[in-house]
Amino acid sequence: MDAIDPIKPLDDYAAAHTTPIDPLIQELIAETHAELPERAGMLSGPLVGSVLQFLIATSDAKRVLEIGMFTGASALMMAAALPDDGELITCDISARHIAFGKRYFERSPHGHKITVLEGGALENIKQLDGTFDFVFIDADKPNYTNYYDAAVPKLAPNGIIAVDNVLWSGEVLDPKEENALAITSFNEHVQNDPRTINVMLTVRDGLMLIRRKA
Amino acid sequence: MGTKAGLRRIGSYAAEQTTPPSALAQQLYRDSVSTFHEPRISCGRVKGMLLQTLVAALRAKRVLEIGMYAGFSALMMAEALPDDGELITCEIDHEKIAFGQQYFTRSPHGHKITVREGPASETIKTLQGPFDFVFLDAEKTGYLAYYEATLPLIAQGGLIAVDDVLFGSVPEPKHDRGPDMVAFNEHVRNDDRVSQVMLAVHSGLTIIRKL
Repeated sequence: MDAIDPIKPLDDYAAAHTTPIDPLIQELIAETHAELPERAGMLSGPLVGSVLQFLIATSDAKRVLEIGMFTGASALMMAAALPDDGELITCDISARHIAFGKRYFERSPHGHKITVLEGGALENIKQLDGTFDFVFIDADKPNYTNYYDAAVPKLAPNGIIAVDNVLWSGEVLDPKEENALAITSFNEHVQNDPRTINVMLTVRDGLMLIRRKA
Repeated sequence: MGTKAGLRRIGSYAAEQTTPPSALAQQLYRDSVSTFHEPRISCGRVKGMLLQTLVAALRAKRVLEIGMYAGFSALMMAEALPDDGELITCEIDHEKIAFGQQYFTRSPHGHKITVREGPASETIKTLQGPFDFVFLDAEKTGYLAYYEATLPLIAQGGLIAVDDVLFGSVPEPKHDRGPDMVAFNEHVRNDDRVSQVMLAVHSGLTIIRKL
């Protein structure tokens, strides 16, 4: 998702002053734009990917859950920030997107850390054992609250949940269509959740960072 | 939606969708605005909560702040430290220090905070590393020197968070201190001792990780 208009010039400057991303991921992003132009807006983009990498490295995360893999750019970026015995489980419903991403995972020295679960994420999450140090939610917007409520109990005590597109192109200021309304209601849900502490960053399309209360 | 009005509305929405700081930190913030009449200098709810998130994520134990101002960010970071954590903050203005200390003494986290009065460049020379986290939020002309002086004191994997990196609306630095910020940003971008991510949150925040 592109940055919201007023944010864009600042974000472009910010991206230019952020450590450049790996060439393989640049290739993956370029091929996504070429092969799936109508869906390339679903990419989180390199800047959000860099923030995710940064948080994973900083918090020393070992086990990551991603809900909504798309073509795998964010999964591969997060996997690169994990130690060699780290694990990333990512969920997607589209066999086409999964096949696309897997071609790149195979070429990456970090691909062995990634497990892809195909199918409905809510069902797949229920089957997962153990806790996660980091969760990234970037899937169908009407289910954001459901994904969040499924993820909170699986979050390690010091874990972080990052959620993309929480500004929904700025439409959250005056929400009308289904996705904007779903995001607005999700944001309120998190803001009123006594279990967690959250901060909303005006990075690209909006990124919410959530952690458990101590 | 015009650029400035749009940024303000989006920034306000983001602040509304961010967990409020502790009651004492909010009071400190409000009182500092009414006492010093410089509301833009304090770092605000979103940045304060982001600093807490980073300090907690890093499980930082030792924090150095350069530029305490009225103490809002120091109190926010101290709240995220463990009980045996330590925060050293540098400030040159005696009036700001006296103001902040009234709130530190009322906080259960205040005992973690040590204020060092005087020029930060002198104070830094007396400090022993390693620090896990440094927050740089002082006069912009000094950023480069502070960065170079603190980097050796930071643990590997530790962070420096730098405030106001979009100061003076960098990409187009019209403000008189804009050029200092641009030079600092270029310096960090070309520094292979670190990796960094710049966030366009309010006046901008760069998070730098020592490799």
